[in-house]
Amino acid sequence: MFSRWNWVACGFYLVLNICSPEASGGLVQSCGYIIPESPVLALGSNFTALCILNDSCLDFGNIYASQIIWKIKNRLVPKEQYREINRTVSSVTFNDTSSLATPLTCNILADGQIEQNIYGITVTVGLAPEKPKNLSCIVHQVSRFTYVMTCTWNPGRHTFLDTQFRLRYSWPEEVFPDCIPKDVNNSCTITDIQFFVNTEIWVEATNALGKAESDPLVVDPIDIVKPLSPQNVSVSSGVLPTVLKLSWENWISDAVMTLKFNIRYRIVGDAIWIEVPSEDTASPRTSFSVQGLRPYTEYVFSIRCMKEDGMGYWSDWSEEKTGITTEDQPSKGPPIWRIIDKSHSPASWTVHLLWKALKPFEANGVILQYEVTIRDKSSLPSLVKKYNVTSTNHTLQLPEGTYEVTLIARNSVGASPPSVLLIPASNSKAPVKNLRTLPKHDKLWVGWTAPNSYVLKYVIEWCLVSSSSDCIIEWQIALGDVQGIDLKGIKPFRCYLITVYPLYTDGQGSGQSVKAYLKQDRPSKGPTVQTKKVGKAEAVLTWNHLSVEEQNGFIRNYTILYKTIDGNETVVTVDPSKTEYTLSSLTSDTLYTVRMMASTDNGSRTGPDFTFTTQKFGKGEIEAIVVPVCLAFLLIVLLGVLFCFNKRDLIKKHIWPIVPDPSKSNIAQWSPQVPAKHNFNSKDQMYPEGSFTDVSIVEIEADDKKSFSEQDLKPFDLLKKEKSTSEGHSSGIGGSSCMSSPRQSVSDSDEGETTQNTSSTVQYSTVVLNGYRDQTPVQVFSRSESTQPLLDSEERPEDHAGGADSTAHRQQYFRQNGGQDETNTDRPCFERTKQITHANERDLVGFVQLQISGQSSQPLGLGMEKNTQEADLSNALQICTEGQTVRPETVEENPLSVDEMPKSYLPQTVRQGGYMPQ
Amino acid sequence: MAAAESPSSALRRRDLCSRGIRLAGKMRADVVDLLDAYVEQQGLDASASVAAVEGVPVAAVERWDEQTGTQRLLENLAAYRAFRALLAQMLEEQREQLGEADAGLGRALAALLLQVSAFAYHLEELLRLESRGIPGEEGDGPPPPPRLSLFEQKLRGLGVLRELAQWAVRSVRDLRQLAKPSPATGAAPGLAESP
Repeated sequence: MFSRWNWVACGFYLVLNICSPEASGGLVQSCGYIIPESPVLALGSNFTALCILNDSCLDFGNIYASQIIWKIKNRLVPKEQYREINRTVSSVTFNDTSSLATPLTCNILADGQIEQNIYGITVTVGLAPEKPKNLSCIVHQVSRFTYVMTCTWNPGRHTFLDTQFRLRYSWPEEVFPDCIPKDVNNSCTITDIQFFVNTEIWVEATNALGKAESDPLVVDPIDIVKPLSPQNVSVSSGVLPTVLKLSWENWISDAVMTLKFNIRYRIVGDAIWIEVPSEDTASPRTSFSVQGLRPYTEYVFSIRCMKEDGMGYWSDWSEEKTGITTEDQPSKGPPIWRIIDKSHSPASWTVHLLWKALKPFEANGVILQYEVTIRDKSSLPSLVKKYNVTSTNHTLQLPEGTYEVTLIARNSVGASPPSVLLIPASNSKAPVKNLRTLPKHDKLWVGWTAPNSYVLKYVIEWCLVSSSSDCIIEWQIALGDVQGIDLKGIKPFRCYLITVYPLYTDGQGSGQSVKAYLKQDRPSKGPTVQTKKVGKAEAVLTWNHLSVEEQNGFIRNYTILYKTIDGNETVVTVDPSKTEYTLSSLTSDTLYTVRMMASTDNGSRTGPDFTFTTQKFGKGEIEAIVVPVCLAFLLIVLLGVLFCFNKRDLIKKHIWPIVPDPSKSNIAQWSPQVPAKHNFNSKDQMYPEGSFTDVSIVEIEADDKKSFSEQDLKPFDLLKKEKSTSEGHSSGIGGSSCMSSPRQSVSDSDEGETTQNTSSTVQYSTVVLNGYRDQTPVQVFSRSESTQPLLDSEERPEDHAGGADSTAHRQQYFRQNGGQDETNTDRPCFERTKQITHANERDLVGFVQLQISGQSSQPLGLGMEKNTQEADLSNALQICTEGQTVRPETVEENPLSVDEMPKSYLPQTVRQGGYMPQ
Repeated sequence: MAAAESPSSALRRRDLCSRGIRLAGKMRADVVDLLDAYVEQQGLDASASVAAVEGVPVAAVERWDEQTGTQRLLENLAAYRAFRALLAQMLEEQREQLGEADAGLGRALAALLLQVSAFAYHLEELLRLESRGIPGEEGDGPPPPPRLSLFEQKLRGLGVLRELAQWAVRSVRDLRQLAKPSPATGAAPGLAESP
């Protein structure tokens, strides 16, 4: 308990000690302090600090040095670096000050781990200044009497401390005030400079860790002067056109220093300076005459100076001043050339004389005029004409001949030497050989091999080849001893036509031309290809040449690239002179894509794609197929016709079978009007009864018909007809009627119209089944006024019944007829005819069977009833057919055999549309 | 009798002479320029006649060409030491009169003072090369000038500058004479010892 109170009291005392102003003589009394106080330490050195406790704290608080802990910026210093020197002193040692930081504090760790700060110091770490190096000074002339000396040096490494540099200078017996740099640490300017005395100059660098001095520089400031450049420079021209006098003022007196100079000049517009030899200006002066200049040329001058003995520095170049030399007479005559236009008349030339303005250094002044003299050398004596021209061309109308043209340029001082051009009547001399070009950077070199004869000079013409404008000729003259010149101003990617003429003393050679490019590029566009003709396996492609502006170089070749949609591309190279090419070995009926590429030495450009499809058939293939087919068809037709012709009788018999002429029947004898009315005479003529002689009868049982095929039965159809015919003969008209009437009845109902085309209306008699003489005849037959031809009706499918149930067929037949009649009453009869003509033979077979068998499963009475019914129906149909009455005959359904047919006939009952027996 | 000159000392001597000549020439030019400025600044007449300044040796001397080199150096040194004191006094008086109002004149006077000092240093160096002792400066200077009026101060200043211009011309000639390799150099040792 005592101990606890003891510690509390101790802590209280400690606080009181720290805070008691009475004890410390101030506001705060510390329990200790650190030695050294705020040290400045060299970076990398070792350092030891001591923390010393006050005795007053020891007496009361039981605080000892062993309780001291050191901290660097709240970071505990390892205790290995502590050392307890005695009861009140603790030290801490740092082997490397680079690990130090601010603040370094001394603290007490009291009982209960209460940490109490005792004292703290600020530690500054840095480096001592290095020795300044490379001290150098220069004296600038600021004005006529004012000089300042600026010295610079290398301050060395960064010290991390506040380091002061000062520039010091002195005479042996005089020390001047130091020069202290402002804002910098590597230069200082001294304004109080005295010449002609060696001055010792050095730099002193000082900080908390030390001081360093540079090596001294001993120099007379006059030897390091950079003077002001000469002022008020002026240029004046003298009497001579090649001299300009340069004058100036020096801003430094000879008493201070004597000067030497540099003079430079250049032509206005040139970038290159020319310097007057330094030995010519090595002595003090204020003027200099520059010689060897060009007449009438503007020059720019500049001058600088320095100490005559070469010590010190050159001044800056003075401001530039210009001057113009005076004029002189032109140094040479203008180059002259001509263009002769003979287009109007070969005997009369239009001569365009062209000459180039003299270059300034040749004109030596302002050219006032040109004097052109034309001497006609074709005539004797020579005719001379003179012209004064101010432009650089002159056009003359001259008759064909040889002329000598002399040209003189004149300025204010005098005339140039004459330029002479000989215009011969013809350019018959030898031309140059081996004309060639070679690009050289931005110039185009043109070279040639000289002719064997001596050449006075060469004229090189060139022009830009254009598709849209004329070739504007430029030209240049080269001396006769050269064999190549550089053409300037040549544009890249443009085609130039270059022509070289050799000029001889007595004439002119013919021109040799060459096309050239300064630089080539790939064409600006590709050729547009299209087809001229497309075949089955080939296609003719055509294209236009690229214009010269689009070529950008010499077209070396064209490349045709073509392919099918899914095929590989085929490449064909074509000569550049071609504009057409035939692609062969193509696949027929195939879509091809073709494009074309134009190539120069520097690349290619492809034109747009073009597609075409090859033809399916080659030329003549269709004809080769069609013609034989047609021929074959014609042949077949012809053969058919011939066959038909040969078999015409047979065909005739089938197509137009002999229809029994009722007019020649027995009945016709009592019905004399009928033949006349129905024009039976023709049939009578066509089918004389005597022609039906050969008749054979084949009897076929009804049941057996099923076993026959259609084809087998067809002949029987014919036989049946024949039989019927014979029966007709054998049985008279009744037999004929019996055979034909059923057919006719059907055909009458459906083919009324068609029958008009083949035969006239036929009256059929009604067969009287019973009754004789006195007996009342039974009206079983009625006269048919149908115009339906009988032959057509024979093939009526509706007539045919199939199989043994012929009765049913017949019933169906009538029903069908009735139905058809009912349904077709409002339809054209022509359509109904059509329906019938498409009957199949099977129906026909049924009909044949019906006809031949003579069997009927239906009682006669029934048939009679039906006949009555049918008659009513026929009446209805007659309204539709207008005379072409379809009248279903019941004869056919009469089961009576031929033999049973009555031998005689009575006039039939008069019915509507019929006729009355007379 | 001076010992035979070593090449380095001969070179040094020639260099000092050359530099001294040019310094004297510049000093002459500066003094002439300063005279114009001074006359204008002080409101004096350029043609005003001024009595000889007390304490300054007269530049003009009879039988100048018969003087030895050492003698020339000593006379020059005595004159320029006097000029140094007079110019320092003038500068002080100038500052008292004008303050910083005319800094240009003050700077010119200061620059001239430095040149005079530098020239005196050259002379001392040459005397050392002659192996002659340098006369002491104490007591050699002019006596303290009596208290003068402002106008008298201006006139005295004008006189100092005129005399300095004269001496500058003479010094150039003296040093050129000294720069010539002459056996007569140092032939008057007695003079070298005289103050």
